[in-house]
Amino acid sequence: MTGLRQIAFYGKGGIGKSTTSQNTLAALAEMGQKILIVGCDPKADSTRLILHAKAQDTILSLAAAAGSVEDLELEDVMKMGYRDIRCVESGGPEPGVGCAGRGVITSINFLEEEGAYDGADYVSYDVLGDVVCGGFAMPIRENKAQEIYIVMSGEMMAMYAANNISKGILKYANSGGVRLGGLVCNERQTDKEYELAESLAKKLNSKLIHFVPRDNVVQHAELRRMTVLEYAPDSKQADEYRTLARKIHENVGQGTIPTPITMDELEDLLMEHGIMKAVDESIVGKTAAECAVA
Amino acid sequence: MDLTLDEAKARNAEVITEALSVYPDKTAKKRAKHLNVYEGDKPDCGVKSNIKSVPGVMTIRGCAYAGSKGVVWGPIKDMIHISHGPVGCGQYSWAARRNYYIGVTGVDTFVTMQFTSDFQEKDIVFGGDKKLDKIVDEIQALFPLNHGITIQSECPIGLIGDDIEAVAKKKSKEYDGKTIVPVRCEGFRGVSQSLGHHIANDAVRDWVFERPGDRPVSFESTAYDVAIIGDYNIGGDAWSSRILLEEMGLRVIAQWSGDGSLAELENTPKAKLNILHCYRSMNYISRYMEEKFGIPWVEYNFFGPSKVAESLRAIASHFDDHIKEGAERVIAKYQPLMDAVIAKYKPRLQGKKVMLYVGGLRPRHVIGAYEDLGMEVIGTGYEFGHNDDYQRTTHYVKDGTLIYDDVTGYEFEKFVDRLQPDLVGSGIKEKYVFQKMGVPFRQMHSWDYSGPYHGYDGFAIFARDMDMAINNPVWGLAKAPWNAEQ
Amino acid sequence: MSQNADKVLDHFSLFRSQEYVDMFENKKAFENAVPVAELQSAVDWTKTREYRDLNFAREALVVNPAKACQPLGAVFAAVGFEGTLPFVHGSQGCVAYYRSHFSRHFKEPTSCVSSSMTEDAAVFGGLNNMIDGLANAYNLYKPKMIAVSTTCMAEVIGDDLNAFIKTAKEKGSVPAAFDVPFTHTPAFVGSHVTGYDNTMRSILEHFWDGKAGTEPPLVREPRDSINLIGGFDGYAVGNMREVKRLFSLMGVNYTMLGDNSDVWDTPTDGHFRMYDGGTKLEDAAAAVHAKATISMQEFCTLKTLAYAAKKGHEVAAFNHPIGVAATDRFLMEVARLSGRPIPEEITRERGRLVDAIADSSAHIHGKKFALYGDPDLTLGLTGFLLELGAEPVHILASNGTPDWEARVHALLDASPFGKGCHVYPGRDLWHMRSLLFTEPVDFLIGNTYGKFLERDTRTPLIRIGFPIFDRHHHHRYPLWGYQGAMNTLVKILDKVFDVTDADTMIPGKTDYSFDIIR
Repeated sequence: MTGLRQIAFYGKGGIGKSTTSQNTLAALAEMGQKILIVGCDPKADSTRLILHAKAQDTILSLAAAAGSVEDLELEDVMKMGYRDIRCVESGGPEPGVGCAGRGVITSINFLEEEGAYDGADYVSYDVLGDVVCGGFAMPIRENKAQEIYIVMSGEMMAMYAANNISKGILKYANSGGVRLGGLVCNERQTDKEYELAESLAKKLNSKLIHFVPRDNVVQHAELRRMTVLEYAPDSKQADEYRTLARKIHENVGQGTIPTPITMDELEDLLMEHGIMKAVDESIVGKTAAECAVA
Repeated sequence: MDLTLDEAKARNAEVITEALSVYPDKTAKKRAKHLNVYEGDKPDCGVKSNIKSVPGVMTIRGCAYAGSKGVVWGPIKDMIHISHGPVGCGQYSWAARRNYYIGVTGVDTFVTMQFTSDFQEKDIVFGGDKKLDKIVDEIQALFPLNHGITIQSECPIGLIGDDIEAVAKKKSKEYDGKTIVPVRCEGFRGVSQSLGHHIANDAVRDWVFERPGDRPVSFESTAYDVAIIGDYNIGGDAWSSRILLEEMGLRVIAQWSGDGSLAELENTPKAKLNILHCYRSMNYISRYMEEKFGIPWVEYNFFGPSKVAESLRAIASHFDDHIKEGAERVIAKYQPLMDAVIAKYKPRLQGKKVMLYVGGLRPRHVIGAYEDLGMEVIGTGYEFGHNDDYQRTTHYVKDGTLIYDDVTGYEFEKFVDRLQPDLVGSGIKEKYVFQKMGVPFRQMHSWDYSGPYHGYDGFAIFARDMDMAINNPVWGLAKAPWNAEQ
Repeated sequence: MSQNADKVLDHFSLFRSQEYVDMFENKKAFENAVPVAELQSAVDWTKTREYRDLNFAREALVVNPAKACQPLGAVFAAVGFEGTLPFVHGSQGCVAYYRSHFSRHFKEPTSCVSSSMTEDAAVFGGLNNMIDGLANAYNLYKPKMIAVSTTCMAEVIGDDLNAFIKTAKEKGSVPAAFDVPFTHTPAFVGSHVTGYDNTMRSILEHFWDGKAGTEPPLVREPRDSINLIGGFDGYAVGNMREVKRLFSLMGVNYTMLGDNSDVWDTPTDGHFRMYDGGTKLEDAAAAVHAKATISMQEFCTLKTLAYAAKKGHEVAAFNHPIGVAATDRFLMEVARLSGRPIPEEITRERGRLVDAIADSSAHIHGKKFALYGDPDLTLGLTGFLLELGAEPVHILASNGTPDWEARVHALLDASPFGKGCHVYPGRDLWHMRSLLFTEPVDFLIGNTYGKFLERDTRTPLIRIGFPIFDRHHHHRYPLWGYQGAMNTLVKILDKVFDVTDADTMIPGKTDYSFDIIR
């Protein structure tokens, strides 16, 4: 397993994390890298653009049908997609039942035991929005992902999430080797988005590794369940992903231990860039009627 | 080497200090609150209790599941108790507690069986409610004479958010209102078995007493109806108790829960008096029945003739002269047996010193029985007692007794080593530690596979067992003669 | 009143006296007891083929399984190492259960600590429990090593042992260089044999692969020694000693990886030994240089053996070898791997065993047996029964896998005595009950819980397995080696003769066969 790069994409739900990761990994594949994608989101949509499939059969659903993971073979769960990218989805329960976090642990243990990582240059974990429990931290434990890329945007909630994920990384960075590789900003065309992303990255002791501009070609490709790299390889957007892929490839060993900031600091940052207005403390807790009187 | 009271107190205080000296500071501070030398005039034993065990110290305690499945619900013989979760909990507690019962096991009674949902990884990840649903169907198909089902939750159930209450309600409806009781006794809840007792009591309240629908009682009430509460019939304890109550003219309409049945739980609101042996594990439901049905309750102690007689009279005091005379008649009837037992064993046991460490009521209840045999309890403590237990204990222990709450393996070994009792009474995990040290030992949870120890019949066995432990010739053989000077 | 000070009546006679029998009868009025006729017809129904089919149609419910959970195996493996304190991270009640379970079987203390996680730890994770727990255990019990495993609680919330232990060391709970191997042992995967395997592998990995990244991995310098792993074995005390005796006779240079024979057989001499014997930690580390690693129980060591093989060891696996041929294979493999010949003394032992079988097999030949237990034990016993000319009819392992099933079939197919035998992986003792009613056998082999089957089906039980709670000291006698097979033979024979005697002792009716010589 020498030279194996294990990376993970984390980010708030709906931020375009799966799209960004799949396009970037497709670009890495284009560079000749052998890629394994491990989807760790119960939605199981981390590999659809690579496989042109709606949803891949997941490790956990197949294991449940077969009895246990011990009854599965690697080839049952691993699919080959665009440019021979190998894809597995952990899967998980319906919302509201069972324990999705445990599912992540189960799946990663299974893949390691079965030698799924043999021969890969990159393993990429695509993880649910937030590190809500120990199970979702599995990909950042020691000997798992060494670099985390946080997909975010200039929206407030995305930045909160990025900061929270940094906290999770910090916890494990001290006892293990996990590092924050950088932020990937997926343009939402909010005000001063680039500057904001840059300052947040700086505050987190990291860097904005790439700013991915918004482009409708992404949606067109997505409708066809394809990456832009495959759908429109000559497009400008494909080049953006190639750039991001190259930056990640060259980013080996450059990860940092993040320095998450407090909520106050984060709000200050947003205010600094005019995204958030200073709260008038005199109106806090007052009803509409009370405000009218005042 | 008999010490004066002051010397003994000083020695005990010193032993506590010594034991604490080995702990890291933070832990020593915590443990110090659980250890004390009893001051004879105080209203409690001066120890903190019912607090989380310190990690890594080898606590002797168990968990809430053990308190519910192992203690309160498990002995109800005509119900099937599902150990819901992975296989282990049910396996280790399978038939180990000696809750005796009459019935054809596997057909109309099920106590010494292990029913488990044997959780696999997929049940954790996807949730276990569907499996539980199917389990109820399979139980109904294979064990149609069962009178009810309980679902005893193991740790994962509460962690993965299974809705066992919904399953219980649904299946109850499907099976014509069958009693199906979900019990949230996951092992991580609370600090010991104790919360499991409470949760189990509450489950009786919510899913037996307060469940809708009539359950006609099959007998005519009398003025002398009582229920035995908190006797788990270990080695037949409840039987050697029941026989005395019936001999004095009372009618026992329910046993909770040793050799008990669902019908008996349902009978209990008809009782005129609830008589409560294990206060710790069943005071909750007794208080509830007092409030809801107006049934008074009285604690009693059936260990040793002194306490048996005292208790029979206390129980009789709730009834008319017919019963009071009955109590005197019973006491008189057994007096010759008791005299003979004491005449035989007291000379062999007089002055022997005992240290105890047990569960619910025995750390205090058995003291009288030892004293009837001329023995002295010099140290005692509870695995999962609360402050009210330690208050009650003051009625039993002498000035200067060493008190240890939630004792650790290290402390207990140290205390016994320094106090050098003639007998230690505790559990299976402790038994062999002390036997290796050459200290006679009796298991005081399982009666060391003997019993019953309750009542007059039980006291004869108790006395014989203590004698056979202490006066076992093997203790003279522990040292090799060539090492004898040691 | 039947109790009596002169001859104190125990529960088994006291409650048969009339006053109690009457009391039990009167109690029924309050019990909503099932009417006698209805009860009897239900009892009879459970003996039928129809009931058996219903029973075997079960998909979800498990009744009286013959298996336990992973952490039990973790504790077993851990205490086989010198001065090692098992530390189970999770709820504390589990540890109380493991300790009781082993103490009831071995009649010995079993030391093990818990991190005592409660509701708050379920929400926030058990890191603080690990930090405090390791510090307390280290200070109180002065272990040489603490082996950490997990309960299902810690596994569901996803606690990371590696990170926790590192943090605890940074906080000074134990010295940085103190050995704290760890393994995840979820109770909802596999059984106690899985937990043994995971723990054994984790301890070896700890020593061989650089102690969780704190030291460079050991570089193997091949030597001529042999490692032996016993597996989870209720007879560990007798078996390990027997293997060591045989190895000494052969002059094999060996390391027992996990030796529970002393810690579970300590003397009563006025002194409590929390730790006794076990594999020395430096020996465990040096075992990486061994020529070969032998497992006596393949299904207990699947991952461990694979790991040893990866290190370059020759590996050999046996299935709880019992009997002439199984012991032959074991010793010949040891001889081959060690280059040491099998001495005449052992050959004589072999001859004595063959002699004993020749003397007695007439009493076992053709007798039908049902047996259940752990995968390796059932394989070992099946081999021996076939050797004795006995006919196994039902073989069941609650923790048996399809691989195990195939292995048993291969064994059966190789013998004329194995025809018509059925193998039941993943089934439980309630299934076995139906089998014994519908296809009766002469004898049942199993652990203590088999006594419930003996009671219901009247099939005489020969107690071989784990746990054995209701007979004493059997664990002190080996089943392995020719001597062990001899013990097993005698165990079986004693029951055969007892049953024949009990069956022929009615005076004037059957006692013509109550022979003085058999």
